[in-house]
Amino acid sequence: MARAGGITNAVNVGIAVQADWENREFISHISLNVRQLFDFLVQFEATTKSKLASLNEKLDTLERRLELLEVQVSTATANPNLFKT
Amino acid sequence: MAVPVEEAIAALSTFSLEDDQPEVQGPALWVSSERGATSSPIEYSDVYAYRLSLSEDTKALNQLNTLIQEGKEMVSVLYAYRSCVKALPQLPDSMKQSQADLYLETYQVLDLEMSRLREIQRWQASAASKLAADMQRFSRPERRINGPTVTHLWSMLKLLDVLVQLDHLKNAKASIPNDFSWYKRTFTQVSIQWQDTDSMREELDDLQIFLSTRWAILLNLHVEMFRVNNSLTNNSVEDILQVLIVYAAECLELDFALLFPERHVLLRVLPVLVVLATSSEKDSESLNKRVKMNRLIAIFKNDPVIPAFPDLHLSPAAILKELSMYFPKFSAQTRLLSLPAPHELPPRERHYLIINHIGAIRAEHDDFTIRFASAMNQLALLKSIDSPDIEWSKEVKGCMYDMVVEGFQLLSRWSCRIWEQCAWKFSRPCKDFVESVDTSSVSDYEKVVRFNYSGDERKALVELVSYIKSIGSMMQRCDTLVADALWETVHAEVQDFVQNTLAAMLRTTFRKKKDLCRILSDMRTLSADWMANTTKPESELQTSQHGGEENKGNFFFPRAVAPTAAQVHCLQFLIYEVVSGGNMRKPGGLFGNSSSDIPANDLKQLETFFYKLSFFLHILDYSVTVATLTDLGFLWFREFYLESSRVIQFPIDCSLPWMLVDHVLESQNGGLIESVLMPFDIYNDSAQHALTVLKQRFLYDEIEAEVDNCFDIFVSRLCEAIFTHYKSWAASELLDPSFLFTLDNGEKFSVRPMRFTALLNMKRVKLLGRTINLRSLIAERMNKLFRDNLEFLFDRFESQDLCAIVELEKLLEVLQMTHEFLSRDLTIDSFTIMLSEMMENISLVSYSSRLASQIWTEMQNDFLPNFILCNTTQRFVRSSKVPSAPVQKPSVPYAKPNFYCGTSELNSAHQSFARLHSGFFGLPHMFSIVRLLGTRSLPWLIRALLDHISTKITTLEPMITGLQEALPKSIGLLPFDGGVTGCMRLVKELLKWQSKTELKTEILHGIKEVGSALYWIGLLDIVLREVDTTQFMQVASWLGLIPGTDGQILQSQEDGNSPVVTLFKSATAATVSSNHINPTPFYTMSKQAEAADLLYKANLNTGSVLEYALAFTSAALDKYCTKWSAAPKTGFIDITTSKDFYRIFSGLQIEYLEDCMQVPPNNHEMLGDSVAWGGCTIIYLLGQQLHFELFDFSYQVLNIAEVDSAATRTSNKSPHLSQGWEGLLEAMKKARRLNNHVFSMLKARCPLEDKQACAIKQSGAPLHRIKFENTVSAFETLPQKCS
Repeated sequence: MARAGGITNAVNVGIAVQADWENREFISHISLNVRQLFDFLVQFEATTKSKLASLNEKLDTLERRLELLEVQVSTATANPNLFKT
Repeated sequence: MAVPVEEAIAALSTFSLEDDQPEVQGPALWVSSERGATSSPIEYSDVYAYRLSLSEDTKALNQLNTLIQEGKEMVSVLYAYRSCVKALPQLPDSMKQSQADLYLETYQVLDLEMSRLREIQRWQASAASKLAADMQRFSRPERRINGPTVTHLWSMLKLLDVLVQLDHLKNAKASIPNDFSWYKRTFTQVSIQWQDTDSMREELDDLQIFLSTRWAILLNLHVEMFRVNNSLTNNSVEDILQVLIVYAAECLELDFALLFPERHVLLRVLPVLVVLATSSEKDSESLNKRVKMNRLIAIFKNDPVIPAFPDLHLSPAAILKELSMYFPKFSAQTRLLSLPAPHELPPRERHYLIINHIGAIRAEHDDFTIRFASAMNQLALLKSIDSPDIEWSKEVKGCMYDMVVEGFQLLSRWSCRIWEQCAWKFSRPCKDFVESVDTSSVSDYEKVVRFNYSGDERKALVELVSYIKSIGSMMQRCDTLVADALWETVHAEVQDFVQNTLAAMLRTTFRKKKDLCRILSDMRTLSADWMANTTKPESELQTSQHGGEENKGNFFFPRAVAPTAAQVHCLQFLIYEVVSGGNMRKPGGLFGNSSSDIPANDLKQLETFFYKLSFFLHILDYSVTVATLTDLGFLWFREFYLESSRVIQFPIDCSLPWMLVDHVLESQNGGLIESVLMPFDIYNDSAQHALTVLKQRFLYDEIEAEVDNCFDIFVSRLCEAIFTHYKSWAASELLDPSFLFTLDNGEKFSVRPMRFTALLNMKRVKLLGRTINLRSLIAERMNKLFRDNLEFLFDRFESQDLCAIVELEKLLEVLQMTHEFLSRDLTIDSFTIMLSEMMENISLVSYSSRLASQIWTEMQNDFLPNFILCNTTQRFVRSSKVPSAPVQKPSVPYAKPNFYCGTSELNSAHQSFARLHSGFFGLPHMFSIVRLLGTRSLPWLIRALLDHISTKITTLEPMITGLQEALPKSIGLLPFDGGVTGCMRLVKELLKWQSKTELKTEILHGIKEVGSALYWIGLLDIVLREVDTTQFMQVASWLGLIPGTDGQILQSQEDGNSPVVTLFKSATAATVSSNHINPTPFYTMSKQAEAADLLYKANLNTGSVLEYALAFTSAALDKYCTKWSAAPKTGFIDITTSKDFYRIFSGLQIEYLEDCMQVPPNNHEMLGDSVAWGGCTIIYLLGQQLHFELFDFSYQVLNIAEVDSAATRTSNKSPHLSQGWEGLLEAMKKARRLNNHVFSMLKARCPLEDKQACAIKQSGAPLHRIKFENTVSAFETLPQKCS
């Protein structure tokens, strides 16, 4: 009966496995760091978007206020004699 | 210059990534989901390197995996299949000749679809034969090859599952045979012209048999399995089937390492396996030996309903029953066949309905969130320390690992609950409907979804969905943070097992058993990391290696690397080998094998590690696992029901995700509202599923359309809810608290708190790959809502009379408060801007406004003509007798309660307050007008009123001339001898204007309007005085003012500086001298104080509006002075003149007093007290007050009556002379009192006496009347009405 197991060249395999562990440590290190970079980018984008959104909100309010002021000024300049003293 | 990666990454953390957005939405962030470790990314090609002679097994494994992939695609095709026949056009009669063309076109269209079915047919045939061959190869008893490995077993189970699913789907889809029969018909029509169609026809028949046979795939598989089998050994396939059953049963019973997708696979496959394995009596006996029938029945009973597809479930009992017809040998298994079907089961709601578990789930969620967060904090702390203690570091990371495992298990359990509740609901359609629903029109899908979830169940589902999503996104976020901790812990676990546990086993238990020993040492060879500590100092390395020899176990340093899928695969295989002793056919279970010669303790250790290994893969696939476990996209899919209901798509009311959103919005539950975005993540999931799994563009389009629609509705309803909430909050704040306190049912006016803050801060809602700024959307809509509301309030006011001004002010106040509350959480336009926009007085040169002109129009058209004054109450009321001048008004516009005060209770509360003021016009109304119009529009209104008075006088002039002409040239004093009766007769003779009734009425009305206007201004004056005084009280102490004795205002301080200026000056001086503080802001403040001083001082002590108005009226009257008061020729008072105005008024007064005595129409009711105000003011301003008081007819009559009564009293005669006149006399007395009141008032406010006193020339000749300097043109400073 064919028995399972029986690594034919156990020593060599052991050495290779050891080397594999070390190589993979390097790879996981690199890949984790790349993922962290990526994460940073995603998060940076998200927070920047919020910041821009709040800036936009302020600009919107200012813009509307400015529009109102412009209208008021235009009514005033259209009737200059009313403001003569 | 090269920068180390760590430093670069660390540098990134110096960026500020703070974000004020709360986490109230799902993760919605799957950028990529590469094939993870659960399925080896390199197809186990590295297994060869371990030299375990597994090449055959690996090859077979990969083949099965490819088949599974293909099969899943087939399943997707079949699931998303929609009938084409319904879309086929019918030819109109006129085009019957082109019928053949239509057939050809139809054929071509259908051929494409049918080719897909043909492909499925071909694929299942090849898959079945390959699976059967694989099973046969690996179940040979002589075992020439290694295998099957555990991974291989799983692949078999999964492929079997795919086949079962495909078969189930084929049975369930009715549109496929439909389409096929149509296809066949067109084929016969089209193929007439073709040659050699026999092979095609044959193929067609094959396909027809395949499509129309139920369970064709399973039957085929069965045939394949046992075909070759019979020629060789007898029972080889049964062996492997039994192994699979044992393995599946054991996994299910243990239920540790299974996530819910795998659990469902096993549950779906198990009944089929049982059927396949018991196709002969002998087989069933041998199966019985290995697995007790009770175990299987227990499993089946435990899960009577298994989800198979989003809207399609399986039930083991039904499958067994149905298959027994096709597998005659199986039908002997009566015990299995007697399993009750789901609808026959006693109610198992307790198990399936989430509502029964939500309490426990909530507790688990809260507990887990806290512990996970604390583990994360520990980890962050650990990372921030340079060289932490190794033991502590290991503990923290281990704790993190435990938390992740627990998180996965929780997520898996919860998602599984949702799947199973869904399946349960699908198996039990709703039977009792709400009464309002028309039962006949309810579709099947509505029965199983829309009406099948009660309010509480929806609430529980929303809660559970948000728990899953929030924990999912929490875990997803810290993916890269925990990755190395997880790798390290997994590495440590593996190393601990192979280096310590196995070493111990090798030394003790297995010392005698050479072959088992070899397996164990192989396990060590292929996974041990002996040099994990090379980076550590040499001395530690030495101790650790030496320590390995001792009993306490090897000490190794952590390395953040996880084992590969191949390593796990091999380890599992080897453990399996050790346990089974290489003989799969051993009776009993996998690890529950009592006959094994391995001690129970070791067996337990091996078992634990075995199942841990399979879970490691999920942990290494961190983000993929989280995504799978939180994927709730299935809640949207309804392909099966779409087909059976024969509709293109269901309305969104039937869509479960929308039902959940809808429920949150409907329920107004403060605890749920923050979860309202969670159900939208379901759409993200289902869109992802449609694109990546089902690969169907049209499904995505449908989802997208639904999301677009839903989100629009959601935003608008959310805004309504927010607006209503803030409005009712403001309205309840404005109710008198002491009044509410004494009220019995006061709590119905209080508003339950709702937290919209989180939603109002959402600037990035992720929906189908789009980022939506919810906050700006809400702000936009709020701006519009506020404007609409203002518009509505003005519209409403315009449709009512002037008395509604108090209500308007109240409602505006509520709105302003709403705005104030909302502005705390949201940036919206300022209320004043919106108000002036809606009042239409943005322009700097317009002094009127929408409200002011409306008030004026009301006064002109309704108030002045139709309201009468009551002098005693200081109120105007609508005259009941006057056929009121028909005023055209728009009807009261309709609006939802949130345009008033929010809820209907608050509306009624505020309305009952407003109702108190709706019947009259008095001081409260004047206050409202002053507050609403402000200093900008009030002058405009006053000017309009004054102009009105002036025009009224002008129009009166010709009429009065008309009356003057009717009077005799001279009128003497009334003689006393006739008594009252005689006098009255004489008066009637004198007044020869009986014919001019209309003229008289008009004059009276004119005078009344003038009087009303003047009285109105008098009210305004009172209010303005009060406002001024209040303001004075507020600012006086700051400006250093003291009221003097005669109403002057004195400066309290001698140096002329007011206290506020002095205060800031000294503060500035102090800061300058101290040198510590920057004095610039103090300088600014000091300057501002001076400005405030100036501004407030200028505003004090404004003049009286009433005096101004009287002066104006007087100026307006000047024009008519000559006509209305004849200058006496002699220079002294002319007793007999009839030209003076007072004569006219006198005559009018006595006549209308007489009229008052008569039955309706009662003149006094029509005119009120303002006639006296108007008449007396004109008389007074014309300087005829004394004349009037002396010569007025009614006064004379009163004098006569007095004399009469005195005479009667002295002589005791009967008072026959004044008999019958008591009523009239009383009215005359009343009129005299009123007139006196008016005159004294006028004397106080517009003194003419001193001017009159000196209006006698030095020569002694009296000046008729002094000339005022002011004329109408002197009043041009007020803004004109037309401007």
